[in-house]
Amino acid sequence: MGEKRNALVTVSLILGIILMLTIGDFISEDRLFSETENRILASKPAFSAEALFGGDYTEKFETYVTDQFVSRDKWIRIKTYTDVILQKQEINGVYLGADGYLLEQHLPKNYTVAQETKKIDLLEVLVERWNAMVMLVPTADNILTDKMPAYAPYYDETRLLSQVEERIGEERCVDVYTMLEEHAGEEIYYRTDHHWTSLGAYYGYLAWAEAMGIPAEGYGKEGLETVTKDFLGTLHSKVNLEMQGEPIQYFPATVSRPMTVTYDLRNTSDSCYEKSHLDTKNKYAFFLDDNHAFVEIDTEYHNGKVLFVIKDSYANCFVPLLIPHYEKIYVMDLRYFNGKLFEFMEKYEPEEGMDVLVLYNCIHFLEEFVYL
Amino acid sequence: MVFSSVLFLFRFFPLFFLLYYLFPGRMKNVILFLGSLFFYAWGEPVYVLLMLFSTIVDYTHGRLLERFRGRKAAKGILLSSVVINLFVLCFFKYADFLVETVNVLTGSSLPLLHLPLPIGISFYTFQTMSYTIDVYRGEAKVQRNLLDFGVYVTMFPQLIAGPIVKYRDVERRLHQRNVDLLSISAGLKRFCIGMAKKVLLANQMGELWVLVSGMNSREVSATTAWLGIFAYAFQIYFDFSGYSDMAIGMGEMLGFSFPENFNYPYISASVTEFWRRWHISLGSWFREYVYIPLGGNRKGLLRQLLNILIVWMLTGIWHGAGWNFLLWGLWFALALMLEKLFLGKLLSWLPKVVGIFYTILVVLIGWVLFAMESLAGGWEYLSAMAGMTGSILDREALYLGRQYMVLFLISLAASTPFPHMLAGALEKSRTGMGIALYRFGEKLIPAALLLVSIAGIVEASYNPFLYFRF
Repeated sequence: MGEKRNALVTVSLILGIILMLTIGDFISEDRLFSETENRILASKPAFSAEALFGGDYTEKFETYVTDQFVSRDKWIRIKTYTDVILQKQEINGVYLGADGYLLEQHLPKNYTVAQETKKIDLLEVLVERWNAMVMLVPTADNILTDKMPAYAPYYDETRLLSQVEERIGEERCVDVYTMLEEHAGEEIYYRTDHHWTSLGAYYGYLAWAEAMGIPAEGYGKEGLETVTKDFLGTLHSKVNLEMQGEPIQYFPATVSRPMTVTYDLRNTSDSCYEKSHLDTKNKYAFFLDDNHAFVEIDTEYHNGKVLFVIKDSYANCFVPLLIPHYEKIYVMDLRYFNGKLFEFMEKYEPEEGMDVLVLYNCIHFLEEFVYL
Repeated sequence: MVFSSVLFLFRFFPLFFLLYYLFPGRMKNVILFLGSLFFYAWGEPVYVLLMLFSTIVDYTHGRLLERFRGRKAAKGILLSSVVINLFVLCFFKYADFLVETVNVLTGSSLPLLHLPLPIGISFYTFQTMSYTIDVYRGEAKVQRNLLDFGVYVTMFPQLIAGPIVKYRDVERRLHQRNVDLLSISAGLKRFCIGMAKKVLLANQMGELWVLVSGMNSREVSATTAWLGIFAYAFQIYFDFSGYSDMAIGMGEMLGFSFPENFNYPYISASVTEFWRRWHISLGSWFREYVYIPLGGNRKGLLRQLLNILIVWMLTGIWHGAGWNFLLWGLWFALALMLEKLFLGKLLSWLPKVVGIFYTILVVLIGWVLFAMESLAGGWEYLSAMAGMTGSILDREALYLGRQYMVLFLISLAASTPFPHMLAGALEKSRTGMGIALYRFGEKLIPAALLLVSIAGIVEASYNPFLYFRF
């Protein structure tokens, strides 16, 4: 008798789980979009005989059922926490570092010498033609080594940096690496995002001024102002663990004089910061209104100097720091630009020439730096 | 459709079992047959016809065997059945392998067929062959009911990955079986445990193996290579035995009693023992329908060794159309022959732990051959394991070892009878505490494993798109 009762409990428990979830799944409405995954979820495929025998109906249907499964986000979180319990320190290509730091994983095998050479060749042409300064920023895994899990593999960016120095000359390089290394104990990278913070960018700026041989503006650490305290960045999206938001800061001194910012030759704004993004998930877009192919900043510093920046998103929080040094700053994101780069630059180059700055983080440089 | 999917767990499973339990007696076979066809057709809308063809062919051959029993024609009928089954299997599984071999040997360039392999074909052709052979031998009664026979061939729990159920093992249950609360409860628990083996252990170990096998074997350290092959050994064991558990569990829920397929193979103290514990239903199929008919061990040592060689070459090639599988079979044949000759005796004198280490070594080397499609790749990997890359231990190995240590320990424990023994000891313990713990655990552990497995299944499709990637 006891055995039967036991069996009944077991059966009700397990079948209960399956049935409840099935029913819950039928009741729950389909979602169009997943906030956590930031993508459109699969919707119900249309049924037809061709689709069935053509082969992709069943596959699509299965994706649909899985994408729309009840409490999808919660299940994903449970799995992530199981991994944490099992002592895993890497989830979805993100290291779970010390002190609540998430660090993007860059495996050494993904970055070959051939790739380095190819990119440096390209860079060399640009530097020679434009006498450009090059600023390759190391990623968090190279600088915050004490936050990394023990023995965690990472691509050593000094290998790239020393090659770059060798090829284009030390005087064309801004040594951000050493500068950031010296300040590794400070909040120079976000905990939940792959970018550097405004403070990190400030140290980058100091290194830049030193390389340019000009006095740096005294923004200072104390000049930072917090605009939000609940930023959860891309790395957080990848691991999807419960985490506290972190602050985004900026230097109000950079906007002490009026300016005109033109995005993609069309929309203008009177600031290089866009507060509206602070209410969305993508809060880093506060800097330079996220990524645009081409941005022009007209400043009130009438010194006749012009700067042309070729950059990735690391530059978004960095470029504003340069405002006091230039009358005009052009910012170009090569990913959104299909034309011939040099021809384009020539159009914007004034008679007396302009400064050119190439600013990427080392990984984006290897992965994305390319121009026609 | 795989068992470890949202689609199976929350669409097929509840709907099928609901109908199955609602419909009375004889109708259950109709539900089971149609359900199985749907299950198979979901992924293989065309090949379901092939399976039905097999069903009808073997049904007919069974009937003919009955009619011509004892007469000369019976042998011809049996031969026809075996030939058709083997032809179907060879055509769909080995055609391209044969063509490639011929091309390499003769320098010709015959075109490849590029047929996708019908899922489960290796399993169901072996099942149907067991039927006609047993009917011919008089060890099974002929099945006159086409539906019942169809149920045997197409039954979805073991259709895709076994166990290979011999006809006579389920003969009686095909038309009469009882399902009660106890068997449903036992079946469900077995199903949950199998699911957890597959999703929580096999898949995770698979990640590590993918990582290691993706590295350049000429550069990895010996420790990394060993971690990798251990991960693979656990992956393949938990994947396969997890699937068998799920099949056996659902079989119980249907009222069947399928044969066991695994019995803690990694604690074997000899390779002979390993093959009595690993994929038991395949081993016993080959023993019964190939090894013993060839004379087994009754025709002298030399003949026995030859029989072992033949059986394990077939076992190897059964696992896949590739030279590495043949080599894998030969590797085991070699170990088995040596054990028959002298090694077995030697091992029995030595402490058991020596035998266990020896067996694990043979099996792991076997897995390298099994996993590496090219022989050169296999050789490189083995060299890395032997430390020929010049690196014994490096950062990578330390990191991976640290990341997967807990999973390795769990996998190790789960490969031994220890958890089962612990449960048994608690159940039999006289203390109220022990029994209470057992009662509690036997219900909650499978349910908890199921929940975590569901999380694993859903997470596998986690695919965050990072627009602000740059």
